Amino acid sequence: MTNPLSEKYRPNKFFEIRGQNLAIDKIKAFFNSFNMGLAKKKAILLYGPPGTGKTTLAHVLAKEAEYELFELNASDLRNRAKLDEILKPSTLQKSLFSKGKIILVDEADGITSTEYGGLAELIALIEKTKFPMIITANDIWQQKFSLLRQKCELVAMKEVQYDIILEILKEILEKEMKNVELDLLKSIAAKSRGDLRAALNDLQSIINNDIGEFNEKDIGEREKNLDIFNAMKNIFKCKTTKETIEAYENVQMETDQISLWLEKNIPLEYHGEDLVRAFEALSRADIFKGRIYRQQHWRFMEYQNFFLTAGISAARKNKTNVDSFTKYQQPNRILKIWMNNQNNAKKKTIAEKYAEYTHTSRKRAMKDFFLISLILGKEAAKKLDLSEQEKDFLDERRNSLRVSYGLNRFAEKKA
Amino acid sequence: METNSSSNIWTEKYRPDKFEDVFGQDEIVKRVKNLVGSINIPHMLFSGPAGIGKSTLAIIVAKELFKEFWKENYLELNASDARGIDVIRQEVKNFARTKSLGSVPFKIIFLDEADALTKEAQHALRRTMENYTSTCRFILSCNYSSKIIDPIQSRCVVFRFKLLEKKDVAKVILKIAEKEGLKTDERAIQVLYEGSEGDCRRAINLLQASASISPIITEEIINILLSSAKPKDIRVVLDYALAGDFEKAREKLLDVMLKESISGTDVIKAIQKEVWNLDIEPHIKVKLTEKTGEIEFRLVEGSDEFVQLQALLASFVLVGLGKN
Repeated sequence: MTNPLSEKYRPNKFFEIRGQNLAIDKIKAFFNSFNMGLAKKKAILLYGPPGTGKTTLAHVLAKEAEYELFELNASDLRNRAKLDEILKPSTLQKSLFSKGKIILVDEADGITSTEYGGLAELIALIEKTKFPMIITANDIWQQKFSLLRQKCELVAMKEVQYDIILEILKEILEKEMKNVELDLLKSIAAKSRGDLRAALNDLQSIINNDIGEFNEKDIGEREKNLDIFNAMKNIFKCKTTKETIEAYENVQMETDQISLWLEKNIPLEYHGEDLVRAFEALSRADIFKGRIYRQQHWRFMEYQNFFLTAGISAARKNKTNVDSFTKYQQPNRILKIWMNNQNNAKKKTIAEKYAEYTHTSRKRAMKDFFLISLILGKEAAKKLDLSEQEKDFLDERRNSLRVSYGLNRFAEKKA
Repeated sequence: METNSSSNIWTEKYRPDKFEDVFGQDEIVKRVKNLVGSINIPHMLFSGPAGIGKSTLAIIVAKELFKEFWKENYLELNASDARGIDVIRQEVKNFARTKSLGSVPFKIIFLDEADALTKEAQHALRRTMENYTSTCRFILSCNYSSKIIDPIQSRCVVFRFKLLEKKDVAKVILKIAEKEGLKTDERAIQVLYEGSEGDCRRAINLLQASASISPIITEEIINILLSSAKPKDIRVVLDYALAGDFEKAREKLLDVMLKESISGTDVIKAIQKEVWNLDIEPHIKVKLTEKTGEIEFRLVEGSDEFVQLQALLASFVLVGLGKN
């Protein structure tokens, strides 16, 4: 296979991009007002997690408008001289062959504000440009981007929804005339966590090898797991010594991830009082994490690590006779939360609309969703501008509530 | 008769839009009205529990000041929803940049649940308030004024809203019931008041939810709605824990939290109430309640609610095994 699937099936038209209608509307509006000289900002900043279609959106805009897209990968352009050389001419001369030019600065996260001054140059360029600019980035909320945020119109790209990813995977399989089990497709879609590119790459590796299992990436993960398995064994089964504190030295994982592994596996090893002590240590570690986060007092990491290692290790009073084998399990809580959020996507958008209309917070709307689903009748749904899918979701919710709480008998009574 | 289920949202339909229509906050209404009369209002801080009229009063202030232009001159933000102080500052900036429409020389920004902001964020907010004083007035709302930093409090006139009494909530309920053609009785109103804990928004929501089922509002329907709105599955979680099955208990807990979108604090509250209904010795109930309180405290200090809740479940499991 030559082209990666994510390239081969990259959308060429706006209507082929799915699940990003708001962003599409915004970029069109920006482009039109720019051309009419009405735009307040000269650049649009598309931001969001990887694989949500930021770059694609820029390309599609150029294609549909028949403009030339002048693409700059920011990570290649870290210094002033290069930016000068490559960016400036394109802003000062008109394009010969197409209607106009759009400048794309991809992955602006790669530009640092220090040393090379790439960011300052980018901002200066926005001020000077005569062509509309599109900038993409993953995380724009760092302090160093505050000036850039002011200079740009901000457009958020959301994670692609689980069911949309699944739908796309199915369609591509059909076009490729391949067959992959539905369960496997579902797990690819879930695993991608809204990153469509990652999902397509996973699909590709399966198609290429014609086996119904994850491979390369999975192998990489398996190696990583080997280290964490050993660390778990060390913590749970070995005597607590001075070396215990270094148990995670070779584990290539964030502390949060390690904490999730511990949480998942503590009940496999400890019971009764040991269990209480182990979770007490985990709880203590979490408190220190909260303090680090809130007070930026990094020295607390020492204590966090201590409780995550020695604290949990020493929770087992009797460490003789523990050489039995335990098959440690991969944590699944975060995935579960993520899957739930996907299923609840409609609940969330309805709650958002309700919250705005009724001057309340989204959190509260989510909490009172039970009452809200009963309250939102036809007219209210119109007022909130709910979509057809959202209305269907509500109807279903309402009916199942009425049935499961036996509420229908009251309705019959009145007649 | 119009069927109730298809009508508008009552909390909005019946939201007071004149000072005179606000129930139960006479003293505050009088003072705020005087301030509005003098046109040049100060920054204000509305403090008090949910559903007692803070947002309503802020909107009335805007309507009285700006008349038909109130929507253009009024920005409402919710601190617990916004993605950090940076977003709030950006929105304030965009809003404050243009001049107000009409004769009043400033605009109003209502920042709801301001106590959801961290101390650092509040300091940033204070600077923002100062920067835009010439063009904007801030009305902040909070549940607890003690969670608002002193420098902000000293720049605001602070209004402490009273909890609504039963007669105030009853007045609202009866008014709506009459307009919507509902039948209620004394018992139903009592349960509505108790179940909503003085939160008028919740009382109205409960009323509308039961009206969506039947125009005859009874104690029974409201009680069903109240019990289903509570995380009752918490009992199941505790039963698993007391039976010694930690893994089932925590799995069920996560399911409940995700399905009902409830926070760790809500779970703790439910557990704390449920402990007394458990079939265990009183001195163990005391011990478990002590632990529950400790974990509630840690929820505030820590970062991962679910870790803290598991620590609590582990204690319940131990009790279940009879080793405590």
